[in-house]
Amino acid sequence: MSEEKNTVSRRSVLKGAAIGGAGLAAGSALSAGTATSASAAGADIHWTTRGGGATGDAIAKAVNDAFTAKTGTKVIAQQVNSDDFQNNFAQIMQGSPDDAFGWMAGWRSNHYGEAGLLADVTAQNKALGKSLPASAVQAATNPVDKKQYIIPTTYYPWGLHYRKSMVKKIGMNPESIVHWDDLIKMMTLTKKNGLVAYAMGDKQGWEAMGTFDILNARVNGYKYHIDLLNGRAKWTDAKTKETFKYFAKLIPFMNPNFMDIDWDGCRDLLLQKMCGAMMMGSWFANDFKAKSQKDYDDLWVVPFPEINKAHGIDTIDAPLDGISVAAKGKNVEGGKALAQFWGSKEGINAAIGAGDTNIYVSKDFDTSGYDAFGKQKLAVLGSAKNIMFFADRDSRGDFAGPILGPALQSFMKNPKNVNKILENTQAQWEALPKN
Amino acid sequence: MKTAVTVPKNRNRRSLSKTDRFTLSAFVGIPSLLQIVLLWVPAVVTVVLSFTYWDGINIKDIHWAGIQNYKNIFINNPIFYQALKNNGIWLAFFLLIATPLGVLLAYQIDRGIKGHAIYESIYYLPVVLSLAVIGIIWNFMFQPGGFVQGIMGRDLAHALSIWGNPQINTWVILGVASWRHIGYIMLLYLSGLKSVDPALKEAAAIDGATEWQIFRKIILPTMQPVNIIILVITLIESLRAFDLVYIIYGSPTVFPLLNLLVFQNFAGQGISMKGAAYAVILLLLCIIPIITYLRVVFKEDLK
Repeated sequence: MSEEKNTVSRRSVLKGAAIGGAGLAAGSALSAGTATSASAAGADIHWTTRGGGATGDAIAKAVNDAFTAKTGTKVIAQQVNSDDFQNNFAQIMQGSPDDAFGWMAGWRSNHYGEAGLLADVTAQNKALGKSLPASAVQAATNPVDKKQYIIPTTYYPWGLHYRKSMVKKIGMNPESIVHWDDLIKMMTLTKKNGLVAYAMGDKQGWEAMGTFDILNARVNGYKYHIDLLNGRAKWTDAKTKETFKYFAKLIPFMNPNFMDIDWDGCRDLLLQKMCGAMMMGSWFANDFKAKSQKDYDDLWVVPFPEINKAHGIDTIDAPLDGISVAAKGKNVEGGKALAQFWGSKEGINAAIGAGDTNIYVSKDFDTSGYDAFGKQKLAVLGSAKNIMFFADRDSRGDFAGPILGPALQSFMKNPKNVNKILENTQAQWEALPKN
Repeated sequence: MKTAVTVPKNRNRRSLSKTDRFTLSAFVGIPSLLQIVLLWVPAVVTVVLSFTYWDGINIKDIHWAGIQNYKNIFINNPIFYQALKNNGIWLAFFLLIATPLGVLLAYQIDRGIKGHAIYESIYYLPVVLSLAVIGIIWNFMFQPGGFVQGIMGRDLAHALSIWGNPQINTWVILGVASWRHIGYIMLLYLSGLKSVDPALKEAAAIDGATEWQIFRKIILPTMQPVNIIILVITLIESLRAFDLVYIIYGSPTVFPLLNLLVFQNFAGQGISMKGAAYAVILLLLCIIPIITYLRVVFKEDLK
């Protein structure tokens, strides 16, 4: 389960030939495709590797082989395209799904768990015991039925990334961007140097959610943010509008072509020393390393600066991934055992041995070998006591993508329209079916 | 006259052997069955679903929603009207500019202007590419860091906003779409023109008709069946536009089109039956004008 997975899963790929009415019919055909050519032995366990290419396969093989060596149960693995798997998840889970697979915490596991597609793994999380921090277990728990449908394994922080050398060059201390005013000062100075001050790309419609999440959490706090994304607070509230006031202040510092680039365009801006600050998940650090060690050493990440003293920097977007078990798989108990193994010390070590660069939530995870940037990632994660999963996992699926994404896009195109856009967003929330 | 029609009919019926009947019913029956199962059943199901709330998982979770999905789309969704506008512009552009251009090109090439074989190949070339490939090509040209931006000497930070600029992106996209559409129409029309008897044109020319008169009074009416096909194709291509834009943007919201909204609201985790409602709206937009047009045309033919 390489870091790549997280990014790939968000990038949409054309797979929409089967739209409209045909989409319904195609569902069953697609799910049939996942049936593996299994031997009939009931004890075999089937595993789906969600993307990740050769690294993904290598990691899956290492962990699954270790499981087989320990228990004697054979694991049959296959790799699927991450986007296809995600987009057809409900159909696949209702067909003949593999028993266990990597999946995502938040709405994406809670919703499908409640619908009866994912097995309850509360007992497995309990068995992993003290190695799992309470916050991770809490984060993996569905707030509605209090069950856990995912065994938490890895996560990554969303933070403010910049290059230390560039911040030094404009005359600021690179490690002291702690307050909103520092950020404004840094952005003003970078802009004076003719550079992009705040890299933004929102071509695909989800990228700007990262900036919105953190601004709202900084201005109004974690609870308000989660309430807002779940309809317990209003988009038309003065508090929400306050968040958008800060958002509007960022827009003049952004590259004007933000609707033309997506997240990797932002990464390239930073890689090519064309921008000062970039709010993004830390998954792309490997690309810096691939370019040169010098670029990698220059890269730094800090928590998004404080805006409201009452909330400090107590919240962070750190999407949590893990292992889920298909409720309708052929070998649910086997799947649970395998999933638990992936979350255990032996499983993690096998994964890391095969080239996994993710940060594991488990306390058994050895971080002593981390480089400076890796340790800083941990520090950024550690600075927050509330973990958000990103708007598209903290909110329901029929709201985040189809409603919130375009609303943020039209806000950034025309910030003066904020009231109308927010009224409209609220109206669309209220029109969603209540379940 | 009457007997002439009925006699062969009877003979036909009598001459059908068992094998013939079996073969015929298989050839007609199997496609019809597939058509019904794969097309009409899902279409009807989609129409029904558009009046419900459902997350696409458990059948028991389907709730009756009345016209709420439609109400929501028409009242609360500004993006719907953007999509409608974009599809409308697309259709108008194709009807008034791209399709006539294709017809004009076909006519010129059929007249055998100098170098017509070269023109024919040039305009035909994009037709062999799928719209998805065309999207990849032109995205590579215009995106920040792309070829055209490089020629203009613009780096990533200073790249001109093309796809994301609402003032020009419509026209750039339509230009790219026409690049293929014109060739497609040209090809269809050309094959029709080849079958027009040249004696007709010659006769008209001898009677002193101008080029334009020949085209309007002779070619167009003779080409009536091809005209219908071209009109229907133009209409459908404009309304079902999807792949080109989806490949360029990777998302349905910067340049919304009805089909993109169907996809976004009917697939993956954004699924709600709003997607079904979008699909029904699109279906009606497609078939109502086509049925109306075909009825008018066939009525004229019967007269």
